Amino acid sequence: MQLKRIGLAVGAFVAVAALVAGCSQAPESNDGTTEITYWTWFPPQSTLDAAIAAFEAENPDITVTLKTFEGADYQKQLPLALSGGQAVDVAGVQISAMTNSVKDYLDPAEDWAADFLPTINSTMVDQTKDIASDGVLYSVPMGSIGSPVMYYNADILDSLDLEVPETATEWKVAVDAISEAMPEVTPVVFLGDVYWQEEMLFAIAEQTSPGLSDDIIGGDGSWDQAGIVDGLKAYKSLFDDGIVGTDVLSLTGTRPNELFGQGLAAFYIDGSWNNSLLSASYREENDIAVADVGATTVPLVDGGQPAIRALAEGGLAIPTESEHKEEAARFIEFMVSSAGADVWAKDLILVPSLTGYELSDSVLESDAAVAGFAAATAAISAPTSNRDSQQDFLNTVEGNAILDVLRGTTTAEEAAATMQSEWTSGRYPHGSDQ
Amino acid sequence: MTRVTTSKLTKPRGGSKALPPRGGVSRVALKGGWYAVGFLAPLGILYSVYFLFSFGILGVVSTQRVGLTFRNAVDVGFQNFVLVAGDPAFQGALMNTIAFAAFSVAVSLSLGFILAMMLASGIRMRRAFYTIFLLPSLIPMSLFATVFGRMLETRDGAINEFLRAIGLGFAAQDWLGDPTAAYVAVGVIITYAIGLPIMYYSTDVAQVQASVMESATLDGASVWQIYRIMLFPLLRTTHITVILSVVLGSFRAFDIIYFSTAGQPGGRTDITGTYIYKATLGLDRIGYAAAASILVLLVALAFSVVQIIVRRKAL
Repeated sequence: MQLKRIGLAVGAFVAVAALVAGCSQAPESNDGTTEITYWTWFPPQSTLDAAIAAFEAENPDITVTLKTFEGADYQKQLPLALSGGQAVDVAGVQISAMTNSVKDYLDPAEDWAADFLPTINSTMVDQTKDIASDGVLYSVPMGSIGSPVMYYNADILDSLDLEVPETATEWKVAVDAISEAMPEVTPVVFLGDVYWQEEMLFAIAEQTSPGLSDDIIGGDGSWDQAGIVDGLKAYKSLFDDGIVGTDVLSLTGTRPNELFGQGLAAFYIDGSWNNSLLSASYREENDIAVADVGATTVPLVDGGQPAIRALAEGGLAIPTESEHKEEAARFIEFMVSSAGADVWAKDLILVPSLTGYELSDSVLESDAAVAGFAAATAAISAPTSNRDSQQDFLNTVEGNAILDVLRGTTTAEEAAATMQSEWTSGRYPHGSDQ
Repeated sequence: MTRVTTSKLTKPRGGSKALPPRGGVSRVALKGGWYAVGFLAPLGILYSVYFLFSFGILGVVSTQRVGLTFRNAVDVGFQNFVLVAGDPAFQGALMNTIAFAAFSVAVSLSLGFILAMMLASGIRMRRAFYTIFLLPSLIPMSLFATVFGRMLETRDGAINEFLRAIGLGFAAQDWLGDPTAAYVAVGVIITYAIGLPIMYYSTDVAQVQASVMESATLDGASVWQIYRIMLFPLLRTTHITVILSVVLGSFRAFDIIYFSTAGQPGGRTDITGTYIYKATLGLDRIGYAAAASILVLLVALAFSVVQIIVRRKAL
């Protein structure tokens, strides 16, 4: 009787333990495959679906459940999910904006990526490491992005017999010609949003002061140094000289992209994540009424060299709580391999991190597109600074200070002084303060 | 006159059927009380979880430097409060919130009241006017504000296009670039969002006895006099309700500003809601944002207290 009781108790314990173990495990498909959960904010859903389908075809024992987010929202959702113990096996990480907010919940990449890490561009790996406050690699970058890149409507330039401008003087000639011949077209468009002003300022300031962003945002430099003041003045000169109208500053969200896509803008300045515009098939699929698009860097305003800030992007990481780390690592290895890049690199959003990877010739058709992509890629490969930002400072102080200069509300010197004063106010911890 | 306290009471005659001493509680009442407690308990628990717990967390976090993961928190005492209170951007946002609230109140008590009275008086096309004025209050404000923000575009925005089309091109503005124009734009969107005050007035004016109005009419009072001397004072409790709802609504007007002007130009139309949202975007800034939230909460509570005092005096 006693033995029977003990047997029953043991049996019950084993049953409960099995039940609990079953509940705590991540889901396993009925067909015996292991299911992994992948959270990310990019590339576009259709590209991700294609990449996942390609992976599952190569790895029939794994299924990938995808959950996508809008970029800004993802910066809040992922940290909250990881801190709440949500089951995420592969996490996309915005390397600049998110590494330090989620790194405590991630396994160091050296633990799971040692086999394929040597195939990844070492500069991008170093950039990803350097972003982390402890210098540890927490994600493997899919590629690199840079900004700003200036896309142009090649048909408009050709029809007016205009060359792609390399200096502000040439740019002014092109803008005047476009304004006269096509009054319905806005010559130059870009985002008037607060956050975009930093991209524009450093692109222009670093033409004569390369490394300025690294010095200030990544180092101990001050915002009121001559490079920033001169950069603000040079940026404002685009408006004073009539190259850009202040009406452009009221364009927010997707508006600049829409205007360019409708053929209502000749030059569109944005990040390399819009390189898709160079692809004729992409334009056709998305009803973009521009026959030919090229790309270049922002023209030189006060001499110097073309400037662009770039950084490794699209980090893929494995959360510590994941129960399918081996499968997650296999998926990440596929995504950064040539087989994965062949699927997503066609979007041109990233310059792939796989060493020696070359884009298929079929992706870019026109001379302008080929030359534009080469120019953007070359610039991203040798950036003047890391594309790093301090979001809180940018959204509350920096962007508004720059906009005030452009609108003539304040001087470049006053704006620089304001930025430095707030930077050191204690409200925006940075560097060693963090 | 001697006051008899319950402690000096002897057992009342009539046994258990006798009424309890004043201040006591009968068993029936007590039983009823437990029923009430039973019914209210789920709501009370819900309230505790969603509000008291949240406020508790907010209070703790406001004294820390911590990020969204709430890990590695560093205790900083009241430093966050000092930094927030000293931030010119926060001060400006708070002043804007109060200024927009005052403007909302003025519009609600004047235009809102007049429109409600006109609609209540049986004006023609009443349903069309109700639809026009109530629609913004019935659709998501974020959607409404987004459309309005698009209309504010300098070159191709609907507002400037319309002004140019009717020969008033000189009046076209850089709505998001000029501070004065931006305030006007915010004023317009606030004015167009007075549907709720109109509903309050429309509902309460129906409670005013028709005989009072008829008497005034027989005595020769003009329509204007009826509105000014009779209806406006008679609806004073409605005014108080409108003022409170509008003022507190201004502290929750994040979507109106964020999706229309996004705080432009240069953060000059930011309100406390947009300020706090931006404060959460940085690394380890959740404590700072929590401190800002608490300061805003205290200001809103102060408004509520003032309203309660005024309301008690009015009734």
